[in-house]
Amino acid sequence: MDYILSILIFLPLVAALLIIVLGSSFRERFKYIALAVTVIQLFISIAIYLDFSSSTAFAGINKESQFQLLEKIPWIRLDLGSIGKLEIDYFLGIDGLSMPFLVLSALVMFVATLASWEIKTNHKAFFALLLLLNTAVMGVFCALDFFLFYVFYELMLLPLYFLIGMWGGARREYAAIKFFLYTLFGSVFMLLVIIGLYFSVINPATGNHTFNMILMMDPSNYIGNSIFSTVANQELFGISARLLAFIVLFIAFAIKVPVVPLHTWLPDAHVEAPTPVSIILAGLLLKVGGYGILRVCISIFPEAAVQSAWWLGLIGVISILYGALNALAQTDLKRLIAYSSVSHMGFVLLGIASGTVEGVSGAMLQMISHGGLSAMLFFLVGMIYNRVHDRDIASFRGLALIMPQFTAFVVIAFFASLGLPGFSAFMAEAFSLIGAFTSAEINGLLPRWMAIGGAVGILLSAAYFLWTLQRMFFGQTRLKGGDIWLSQLKDINIREKVALVPLAVLALALGIFPSLAFSKMNASILAFIQLFSG
Amino acid sequence: MGVLSFSAGTLGAFSLIALAFPFISLFTILWRSKDSLGHIAIFNAFISFIASFIVFCCVWNKEVIHLQTGWFTIGENVFTAGILLNNLSVLMMVLVSGISLLVHVYSLMYMKGDPGINKYWAYLGLFCFSMLGLVVSDSLLLIYIFWELVGFSSYLLIGFWFTRDAASQAAKKAFIINRIGDIGLLTGLMIMYAQFRTFDVVKLFGPMGLVDSASIIDGIWISPVSQMPVVWLSVAGFAFFIGAMAKSAQFPLHTWLPDAMEGPTSVSSLIHAATMVAAGVFLLGRVYPLFDSLVFNVIIIIGVLTAFLGATIALTQNDIKRILAYSTISQLGFMIAAMGIGAYGESIFHLATHAFFKCLLFLSAGAVIHQLHHYKEHHQLEFDHQDIRLMGGLGKKMPVTFISMCVAAAALAGLPLTGGYLSKDAVLITSFEWASGYHGFKKLVPYVLVLTSWLTAFYIARLIFKVFFGKLRYEGITEASSSMSRVLIVLAICSLFILVSFNPLSYEGSWILAGFTGSGVKPFEVFHSIVPIVVTIGSILMVLIGFRIYAKRDGRTFREKGFFYRFSNRAWYLNEAYNLMFVKPVERIAHYSYRFDKLIVDGVVNLAGAGMGVLSRVADWLDRYIVDGAVNGAAVLARHTGNFARQFQSGRLQHYLITMLTLVVGFFILTYFI
Repeated sequence: MDYILSILIFLPLVAALLIIVLGSSFRERFKYIALAVTVIQLFISIAIYLDFSSSTAFAGINKESQFQLLEKIPWIRLDLGSIGKLEIDYFLGIDGLSMPFLVLSALVMFVATLASWEIKTNHKAFFALLLLLNTAVMGVFCALDFFLFYVFYELMLLPLYFLIGMWGGARREYAAIKFFLYTLFGSVFMLLVIIGLYFSVINPATGNHTFNMILMMDPSNYIGNSIFSTVANQELFGISARLLAFIVLFIAFAIKVPVVPLHTWLPDAHVEAPTPVSIILAGLLLKVGGYGILRVCISIFPEAAVQSAWWLGLIGVISILYGALNALAQTDLKRLIAYSSVSHMGFVLLGIASGTVEGVSGAMLQMISHGGLSAMLFFLVGMIYNRVHDRDIASFRGLALIMPQFTAFVVIAFFASLGLPGFSAFMAEAFSLIGAFTSAEINGLLPRWMAIGGAVGILLSAAYFLWTLQRMFFGQTRLKGGDIWLSQLKDINIREKVALVPLAVLALALGIFPSLAFSKMNASILAFIQLFSG
Repeated sequence: MGVLSFSAGTLGAFSLIALAFPFISLFTILWRSKDSLGHIAIFNAFISFIASFIVFCCVWNKEVIHLQTGWFTIGENVFTAGILLNNLSVLMMVLVSGISLLVHVYSLMYMKGDPGINKYWAYLGLFCFSMLGLVVSDSLLLIYIFWELVGFSSYLLIGFWFTRDAASQAAKKAFIINRIGDIGLLTGLMIMYAQFRTFDVVKLFGPMGLVDSASIIDGIWISPVSQMPVVWLSVAGFAFFIGAMAKSAQFPLHTWLPDAMEGPTSVSSLIHAATMVAAGVFLLGRVYPLFDSLVFNVIIIIGVLTAFLGATIALTQNDIKRILAYSTISQLGFMIAAMGIGAYGESIFHLATHAFFKCLLFLSAGAVIHQLHHYKEHHQLEFDHQDIRLMGGLGKKMPVTFISMCVAAAALAGLPLTGGYLSKDAVLITSFEWASGYHGFKKLVPYVLVLTSWLTAFYIARLIFKVFFGKLRYEGITEASSSMSRVLIVLAICSLFILVSFNPLSYEGSWILAGFTGSGVKPFEVFHSIVPIVVTIGSILMVLIGFRIYAKRDGRTFREKGFFYRFSNRAWYLNEAYNLMFVKPVERIAHYSYRFDKLIVDGVVNLAGAGMGVLSRVADWLDRYIVDGAVNGAAVLARHTGNFARQFQSGRLQHYLITMLTLVVGFFILTYFI
């Protein structure tokens, strides 16, 4: 199968078109179409995972020949006269940094589709947009041409804007616009950097300027006096152009991650978004940010990354602590989980900034782990909200008595998230911190106190999760809605179990056998570290 | 035991069996029916004990078994998982599985009829699995994993009656305080990894291991693979010790343990005897070579302080379980202090004897509570069935419980013929020998410990006399069921000297102590005779005073007011202090950081948005009135011009003629007259 990545990416788009074409008499079947697509994607991605070669000969990163499942088709060729020939490729491929995200995306999309059963209005538009989003997310993780990457990257915004704005809660328009403008703000400047890179890099094979990301990682492909040349040391506004470009790209992706102080779109977007969109936001969109930092920011501007590593680490620690403290102060369960995402994604940044194999492995695992766990958490919140349309922590008490199985899943999700050993988040956070700590000896990028500061976040996460457990689930049952709620709060059903069990299994499997992920990523991470910090 | 001999691989398999069976109990949670699966759980615990016992017999004082396998790889570094069976781990194994088996059997009656009974067996199984995993793990990473699992299962068990607010709060408190310890342990792990690039306990702490071979030159701590300033050596020691402090309930991280009494009494007994609190002492034993003198001093101070603090608080408590809880804290202080002075073997020895008598104390207390609870329900009375002030005279009605608890109390007080006497003497005598080589505060250490053991004798005598002597309040109360009292009898026998040494009066012949290398302090014969005599006489005096006050109740008693009484009764006001110093401030910081987030961070965003709005309104105005104004102005001008011009084309001939005439006349006038 030469075009398997294309199939993976465009299958949902085809299904979306099908849904648009089908008449409204099929409206009850749209969700099954969407579900079928995600199931097929899940199988494809698992097949890709199993078939993925973990040898160093297929490490990828900055060597085009080492990427797997390569697809490269000339896409746009335009003679621009004196400027040269516009060269944009339809260029896909995966390595150890992107492959795990394909599996994660397929799984999270599957769960999100199952969560979409709650959608009551305008099925056609909803599922078409959901599938369009699916295409965009898959595309981002596969694209190796910067132009193509940017197309997919921006394509994610459109369906999300409508999904939040049309099916969201009371303040959905505010949240949707905030989200849209926030992310657009980052990506507009990103476009400038992309254009700058385009004019700086020459494809040695054809002599044309190129958008090929992999070629951008090799300093010898830069024109000697170009703006982003590694030797010319061009300056813009008094600072090195490459450093500036790194910062701009970093801000663009950091908004997605999100890091403090660029995070405030996230709680609003999460609170207003319908459950499936929250799942996708937390499970995948945030990971696009982390992936972008690895694949684009650091890989293309490694020396600028080394220069800024201290600041990246600091932002990571601040995100961990600040996110956790904010989570502690929340009264709305969904907002609490949104802030906990900020905290947990801080570990990703800290691990990446360490520039060590341990740290980056931890960060990658944290992204995968958090992808599954945040999907699980938002699904669980959605279940309560769907039943009684309330999510205030204070409105509930003693839920364990009336919803024991639901509570069991909540306990699993909470403890997995707070880093209980045996679950993936523990391994991920432990190695992010270990990497951050060893960084002082290995490359001197981060001081040791940052790792210890990050460790305090583990304590705080235990505090807010356990406090929530105690307040909402334990004690004698007492509900704000009284007996009406009592009859509405039914325990978990089959569909919900089907969605939750795979996520719990993923967290458990990666926690006990982290090599399931580490072995596939190791070669790529080593190559990445080689590129990053030498 | 020479008959038994197995290959290393087989013994490894046995130890895995010892781990696996309790873990199987976890699956009883999936059982839907309300029928108790207790017999399956007991069977699992039994198999676990047998396997542990076989391993113990084959490994104790023989070869050390270390088996490992690759687990995962990061970079070029292979992380292994494996088991390490040496004297320390096999002793702990047999202790943990033995106590857990007894607690399982006891629970069958004690927890009978509880609606969540299968959940109970599952959590209990998980607890034993975690603790056994902890003691056989060969890598710090694995130790950390099981370490936290122990904390997690204790969370589940302490909060077992989750509908009670106090229970769920106690569970939360236990987990969070233990998390503080976990952070310490994690910091220790990070330092060890950064410095040595491995988590393998044998490679790190074994004879001629990496820690031993690391050297300190000019304030730099140098290992074969890395180096860092020497302060990190002490930090690592502290970090591990903070972990041990949380689990082993050392001041200032001890406050979770008394609250943990909210769990079922059988669970308390397990937590206090063999699992959980023993983990901290065990950890210190595992990483022993790491500590430098600075850390040792801190360990001693904390240990002694905790021993004293626990005893003083136990003096005035009225809840039967809380007295025992504080006594555990105090006894753990003994063990930690012993670790600090280098009495490694003595500390483990005390851990072992303590496991039996503390388990017995709790299970006896449980029997009392259980019977009183049933009596209360039967007679529809309302009183606190854990308050020793409301008990009395139970000795005649519950003879087995009474006698077993007396044995346990004697062991706790360190009276002769018990195991506790031997191990406490071992710790005390070694501390005297150790202190004779030092000056300053270290001289004080053995005296504080002696004072503490006298206090111990007093408070446990108070408990015994208040509960079992005096006037009987509840006629018709009966002995606990036979399956419970049989467990008590077994434990009572185990609490006697015979289990640990043939000589009832000297600890030197103890086989447990012989299994560990000596403390290395210079022996002084004189202490070996004086210390036991003085301590024992003091303790007996204390018991007699207790008898006068609490059993005979001839009116002589302590005033139950005054500063010292309240200070002790309120546990040195530490809970209040922590609440004021940590809990409230963190809540406040969280609150303010959220306000900051909403007002400042989000405020800036909204301000930017609002600013954009204003700008766009300005642009709109400009567009509407200036740009569009210009366009519209042009249009208006054109229209007016058009309207004006339109009048010329009215279609009336006269107008045209007039206009033409006017124009022509005008032209002529212009040409000729101007």
